[in-house]
Amino acid sequence: MNKLIRNRNPYEMTYKIGLLAALLLVLILCVMHIAFGKVVISPQHILRALANVQEEEHHRQIIWQLRLPRTLIALVAGAMLGLAGAILQSITRNPLAEPGLLGVSAGSVLMIVIWITFADGLGDATRYLPLVAWTGGIGTVLFVNALSLGKGMDITRLALVGILTGSVLQSCTSLILLRHTEAVGSILLWMIGSLNGRVWVHWDMLWPWALVIIPLGLLSAGAANALQLGQSTAASLGVSVRRMRWMMLILAAVLTAGAVAAVGAIGFIGLIGPHIARRLVGQDARRLFPFSTVVTGVLLLGADVIAQAVSFELHVFGLSSQVSLPVGAVTAFMGAPFFLYLIKQKRKSH
Amino acid sequence: MKEDQSQKPLLEAQNIELRYNDKPILKELSMDILSGGVTALLGTNGSGKSTLLKTMARLLMPQKGCVYLDGHAIAKESPRSLARKMAILPQSPEVPMAITVRELVEQGRYPHVGPLRMLKKQDHAAIEEALEVTGMQAFEQRPLDSLSGGERQRAWIAMAIAQSTPVLMLDEPTTFLDVRHQLEILELVRRLNQERGTTIIVVLHDLNQAARYADRMVVLKDGRIVRDGTPDRVLTEAVLQEVFGIHATVLKDPVAGTPIFLPHSVVHREG
Ligand SMILES: Nc1ncnc2c1ncn2[C@@H]1O[C@H](COP(=O)(O)OP(=O)(O)OP(=O)(O)O)[C@@H](O)[C@H]1O
Ligand SMILES: [Mg+2]
Repeated sequence: MNKLIRNRNPYEMTYKIGLLAALLLVLILCVMHIAFGKVVISPQHILRALANVQEEEHHRQIIWQLRLPRTLIALVAGAMLGLAGAILQSITRNPLAEPGLLGVSAGSVLMIVIWITFADGLGDATRYLPLVAWTGGIGTVLFVNALSLGKGMDITRLALVGILTGSVLQSCTSLILLRHTEAVGSILLWMIGSLNGRVWVHWDMLWPWALVIIPLGLLSAGAANALQLGQSTAASLGVSVRRMRWMMLILAAVLTAGAVAAVGAIGFIGLIGPHIARRLVGQDARRLFPFSTVVTGVLLLGADVIAQAVSFELHVFGLSSQVSLPVGAVTAFMGAPFFLYLIKQKRKSH
Repeated sequence: MKEDQSQKPLLEAQNIELRYNDKPILKELSMDILSGGVTALLGTNGSGKSTLLKTMARLLMPQKGCVYLDGHAIAKESPRSLARKMAILPQSPEVPMAITVRELVEQGRYPHVGPLRMLKKQDHAAIEEALEVTGMQAFEQRPLDSLSGGERQRAWIAMAIAQSTPVLMLDEPTTFLDVRHQLEILELVRRLNQERGTTIIVVLHDLNQAARYADRMVVLKDGRIVRDGTPDRVLTEAVLQEVFGIHATVLKDPVAGTPIFLPHSVVHREG
């Protein structure tokens, strides 16, 4: 018995089982996600509609035009936020780090808001959203890094400057919001994060980036493992600590900005996902990164199922059919208590 | 100009000056390390031992002076090629807790295979051997946060050994260990030195152990080398009094033949 335990990596088992469970969850949630909305479609109808049965034309339209792209976007945007969170938590060696930490989300949102309020006249405005979001996100990372540059690249200082910059950028967004009251609705949705009205156009601007950056993020696990041993140890292993950390910061920023461009600044999910993952599969980035990616995708999809279900209830109880709960509100609602729990746990362990 | 190979220092610190915020920590310090020896760095807390070790491993850049490895300035060497030549175990390294011993030890292979090939499961003989010589085989699948301080320390040492470098620097490797494990580590150090010819520089606080296991003792005080030589010449009553501030008697170890001291009292300074 003892020998068995000794020769097995305790995290490896949970990793394999966990991945299977997560894939199963993805399937279940996909069905639920497609089912829920203003019109509830039963699984049976979903199957028939996907099989292009004639009399299901109405459902087919809803599923193909509205629900399916939204499902895919939720999964992939969540995955990107999860991977970004895992990368940041590894390189800062701080379990409370999240994609918003370096002000990336705030910077992306500000640029998006500026873009949609001032460049709205330009025909194909949405197509450039990822680029716009990236400019904001990467610009913020560069700025934060320049400000916190000093001897030895102090990570705490980096985080502090990042949080400060983030709140300054956020107040800039609020200022724009005050001056453009007609756009309040859409600006707020970007700030909270929402999947409402996400269709194939949005998917088309998400997947090419995701296809390139998620693999890059996963490939960085080898370097991340060395970096999380601490600056001195990583350096003595032959890692160019500064350069590597830099590359990974940029990678996390690009992942975050890509997701924000599609769904807005959804909070907490990039903190919770990697955290759950670390609890289950340990800190070796070779497992932690892929697992965080999957788990967070599942979480965002799950949160959106809840958002959709709640919105449906609201409509049933006679609230305006214009009201749809943004998924960012759900993640914040789930995330805030979780955050408090984390802090409490941390205190206990000291 | 041809020189006798055995005379040429493997590692050479030349006129190192290192300051933290304008406070000089190492002052015009020079030291040669010959290939194949065990050198113990000694001195009181804050005398600059860790700083010197880190400077020689290029974890710190001196403001003045230069460190040479095999005659090449280490400042110009690429990080990875340097990490294939020397390994350093920092004093109280920071640990990610939720990885297994084996996963930590695997990291020692980083300079040999690089970031991408580190994604694979590593099963080099070097990892097995490092686990074996440190007695960590039975613990290889245990998460670090389930280990005692001493076991964790040995896991770190195993990582440095898996790096298989000709030079190995250890900063207080015996802290946290019980007396048996202290001796095990020191015997391991000696074995690495004798069997693999690894050149070892080790910071120790126990002078008796240093005298027993090192060929050479280097004593630092306020960032300068104040004594340097064989244990017989360094571990003397005068040094204990002047550098370490204690009155003591130095005897001869009846078994090993090395000097050994018995402390009596603290030297009281005026003021
Ligand atoms: N990062 C730092 N910033 C400022 N001063 C430092 C720093 N690191 C070390 N020092 C100072 O440099 C001096 C030498 O430190 P060092 O760590 O080399 O001592 P040491 O001989 O290894 O001591 P110990 O036996 O306690 O490990 C000390 O006075 C210490 O306060
Ligand atoms: Mg020290």
